[in-house]
Amino acid sequence: MTQILSIGAPILELKDLSICLHHGKQHQILVHDLNLMLRPGETLALVGESGSGKSLTANAVLGLLGNSLQISGGQILVCGEDIVPWSDKERRKLRGTGIGLVFQDYQGSFTPFIKIGKQFVETLRSHNSLSVQEAKLQAMNWLGRVGLPAERVFNSYPFQLSGGQRQRAAIAAALMLKPSLLIADEPTTALDVLTSETVLDLLDELQSQTGCAILMISHDLRQVLKRADTIAVMKEGRIVESGAAEVIRTRPTHAYTKMLLKSRPLLTEIHAQLLAEEQALAGTGDRLA
Amino acid sequence: MRQLLNAEKLCKTYHRSGTAVEALQEVSLHIEVGECLGVVGESGSGKSTLGRILLALEKPDRGDVRLQDHSIIGLKGKALREVRKHIQVVFQDPTSSLNQRLPIWRSVIEALDNFPEITPPFLEDVRHSRRDTAAKLLEMVGLKAEHLDRYPHELSGGQRQRVAIARGISLMPKLLICDEPTSSLDVTVQAQILQLLKRMKMELGMACLFISHDIAAVRLMSDRIIVMKEGRILDQFASRDIMSDERHEYTRKLVAVVS
Repeated sequence: MTQILSIGAPILELKDLSICLHHGKQHQILVHDLNLMLRPGETLALVGESGSGKSLTANAVLGLLGNSLQISGGQILVCGEDIVPWSDKERRKLRGTGIGLVFQDYQGSFTPFIKIGKQFVETLRSHNSLSVQEAKLQAMNWLGRVGLPAERVFNSYPFQLSGGQRQRAAIAAALMLKPSLLIADEPTTALDVLTSETVLDLLDELQSQTGCAILMISHDLRQVLKRADTIAVMKEGRIVESGAAEVIRTRPTHAYTKMLLKSRPLLTEIHAQLLAEEQALAGTGDRLA
Repeated sequence: MRQLLNAEKLCKTYHRSGTAVEALQEVSLHIEVGECLGVVGESGSGKSTLGRILLALEKPDRGDVRLQDHSIIGLKGKALREVRKHIQVVFQDPTSSLNQRLPIWRSVIEALDNFPEITPPFLEDVRHSRRDTAAKLLEMVGLKAEHLDRYPHELSGGQRQRVAIARGISLMPKLLICDEPTSSLDVTVQAQILQLLKRMKMELGMACLFISHDIAAVRLMSDRIIVMKEGRILDQFASRDIMSDERHEYTRKLVAVVS
């Protein structure tokens, strides 16, 4: 798939995408006329609160919408080809090698009762013609690349790893098939602040090595501002504002984007404001005394 | 300032599948009347264990917790009931801390039903009626009378947390323990809940133990801050000194992520 790409042609393009929920005879549009574009090596963050439709959008790209949900309009272009009319089988193939996936929770990424190594080997062999030995070598190599003790993790069950280790393993599992697009749905939401940072650093590093595009789904605008090239802010199924991360950070125009930023001020901003309030209070105290 | 609560050299070890996890190692702290003490740490730092011990939900292996000079360790029956009057809690997940089968108004006055002899000053006018009491409490946390007969699943996460806060303050406790009260909420709702907690603390003069992994939220809420890692206190300081050069390296790392 990647061979036919000219440099800079979009990996993923959503054109007027709408997603509709059916229950009985009623239907409700949950995502309205969404337009997005993602080029090789770029990170686009789709940001919104719960119910904004950000995960639905990711699931639509992955072909993982449930039975009651349906793409009711628009196109999903992967490397220029509209995948909306594709069969489930074609979609499944795309999910393996064209699009990688990292979920918030390892239960989405790993089968709990099979050792990590076995899952890696199976995944590799189902997409490539490799011997078990070759697959094992590749699996170990990838576990090493994401900074894990390869031997030990290979022989561990998912629950024997810490949250950060599991997420590193999930990233390795997604990237070892060399996808041109990685969809990361809240990849650090279940992790500690410092662990989150190292996992995001790792994604950055692997992205610059592999050149894959990343579609990052997040509720935390503050966090992705530092990480993404482009940001699209979603609310109630629509993109209310999108643009370069730097522009969103310094000159947001939509009231909702401003509110998201204001809801999560930097510690330095909180600190400065509280000190100012403290001083103002001390000042009035002095005058009263 | 008068001391409200004193914890001395708390130790707690859990045994999981043959390995011992030292959740708390010689943790000492005090909380003054009306003060907010912030506890920041990552998962596994022991901060929630600390919260449960101060709530007398769990016993430490060693060490003592004194509420206004009376030990609360190992209390039972009447004596424990007395402690519950003074220390209340708001947990992270309002979905599991509210009874799904009770309408909101019943959950809100649950604590007051347990302590019929208590009437905080802000409920004096309405205490004769349980429903009016519930309505007044909901109003204090920014909810409306129309929410009285709803069930938890009919409310948003932020509204449910407001209900949990209303219940937490209903006895006008001397200490409100908030364990990650905003972690399961959307960011815009988080900001509203923090403002609500701050306002309640000011209006009621409660002391607060604010437990969170988010050092920015802890700075916003607290007068003093304790930083925990692997069951120990690494750093403690007045909130205004959070940017000082004297901070522990680990504190500085936590600060850098949100600055």
